[in-house]
Amino acid sequence: MVNNRKVRLMTRLAIYEKNEGREDIRLSKYYRADYVRLNVLRTVVAITIGYLLVVLIIGVYNSEYLIREAVTLDYRSILVRYVGAYLLLLTVYCALCMIGYMVKYRNSRKKLTKYFRMLRRLRSIYREESGELPTGEEMDTDDSINS
Amino acid sequence: MILLILEARAVLLRFFQKFQMVLTPLVKFFIAFITFHAINGSIGHEPHLMKLPAELVLSFIGTFAPAVILVLLAALVSLAHIYTASPILAILVALLMLILYCFIARFSGKYGYVVLLMPIMFILKLPYVVPLILGLVATPLTIIPMACGVLVYRMFVIIKAAAEMEVSMGINDILEMYIDVIDRFVADKQAIVLIGVFSVIMIVMYLVRKLNIDYVFEISIAAGTIAGILGFLFGDMYLHTQFDITGMVFGMVGAMALALIFQFFRMALEYSAVERVQFEDDDYYYYVKAVPKIKLAVPVRKVKRISEGADPEPENPEDGMVDFSPEPATTSKAERELTEEERYALGEELPDESLLEEFPSEQDENG
Repeated sequence: MVNNRKVRLMTRLAIYEKNEGREDIRLSKYYRADYVRLNVLRTVVAITIGYLLVVLIIGVYNSEYLIREAVTLDYRSILVRYVGAYLLLLTVYCALCMIGYMVKYRNSRKKLTKYFRMLRRLRSIYREESGELPTGEEMDTDDSINS
Repeated sequence: MILLILEARAVLLRFFQKFQMVLTPLVKFFIAFITFHAINGSIGHEPHLMKLPAELVLSFIGTFAPAVILVLLAALVSLAHIYTASPILAILVALLMLILYCFIARFSGKYGYVVLLMPIMFILKLPYVVPLILGLVATPLTIIPMACGVLVYRMFVIIKAAAEMEVSMGINDILEMYIDVIDRFVADKQAIVLIGVFSVIMIVMYLVRKLNIDYVFEISIAAGTIAGILGFLFGDMYLHTQFDITGMVFGMVGAMALALIFQFFRMALEYSAVERVQFEDDDYYYYVKAVPKIKLAVPVRKVKRISEGADPEPENPEDGMVDFSPEPATTSKAERELTEEERYALGEELPDESLLEEFPSEQDENG
């Protein structure tokens, strides 16, 4: 016979797994520090590529001037200015990313906690069905996953 | 009148739920088709891509692929068109797209499709709907893809103008065109005003939406519209962009109407039946305001065919009665349970009591 409670719970679990859960479960394989570090690293790569492209576009834009003044240009100050701007950009982006991904990780963990709670309920239903009484551990709604 | 509209809403929602399997791909196909058609209409240069079969095939791929693929396909098709007009411009656009991706678009997350939606809505002359609806459903973080979408649109406007004035391909001409395009892109005041005002709309709507007042969503839409109109007026005054002010005002009002319709289908709330309750537990004191959602039972229409010689009480109902209701009118206990399951399967939040009911013995066993 169809167990309505079980079907409800499994539907909920499946909906979560299908949508946001997929990302949350993927994310749960990382420690928080690793996850944040990985994404900051990705950001560094993206910003570096983006910045190089911007420099390329500016270079082509000023190509006439650059060729004309190639001998008299103050390369040192240009380099300092562009590297400085790059470092500033990188710092701002990394800081924002670190905060953003930390918040994302925490939110995902919260949702995952709920998911695990439902899984535990499902397990207790299975146990009930097979005649065993659910143990206190299963009915417990602690946030052990949150650690 | 109101009741009639609510009934129509219930029927429509039910229809969508029932035929979701068919309607979702259809809607996606339609969106993809509009996308490719709009791209072809605005910057179409490559004749092969402009043929109907090509549009259909691309839309078909877009239907069954995730949104990211659709965005990618749209970008590639646009690049192909620009490449036919001018390879140099295509390279420049590709570079700008990459820069946009590296700096902005990669942070758009699940709202990445807004990057595509924004230019499409501009082409369809409905750009103001996007911030109003995003302000209603999303957080201000979606300003990121929105801004990206505006930049992409403005980039294409500039590129389109440049591609049309394409001249003979001397190295100096190319450089001149390149410098001209970059100049226009960097000094594009319209893009600045658009991004600024749209961001203001979304932030205002988000802040209003969080208030604890009745009709908060409708008020939020109105506030967003007013903020938008004022924003464009101020922007035009200070930056001297050549916006068509009358068109903007009408556009904003039209967008407000569309947003209100969207909100009506998303959620119709019954403010006259608000429940306010207060209670406490060990940690908190709760002030709860619960606004019920309007739910109407779909009316059951029965057409009784009266024809001569017909049995007044036919044994087989199909002989004499035509039932146009989507489901039989009887609601036995088993059936009612089934619909609840369906609601559940559709992802609707059931009140928490239903979860508690599932485990009535939870406390007893623990205790």
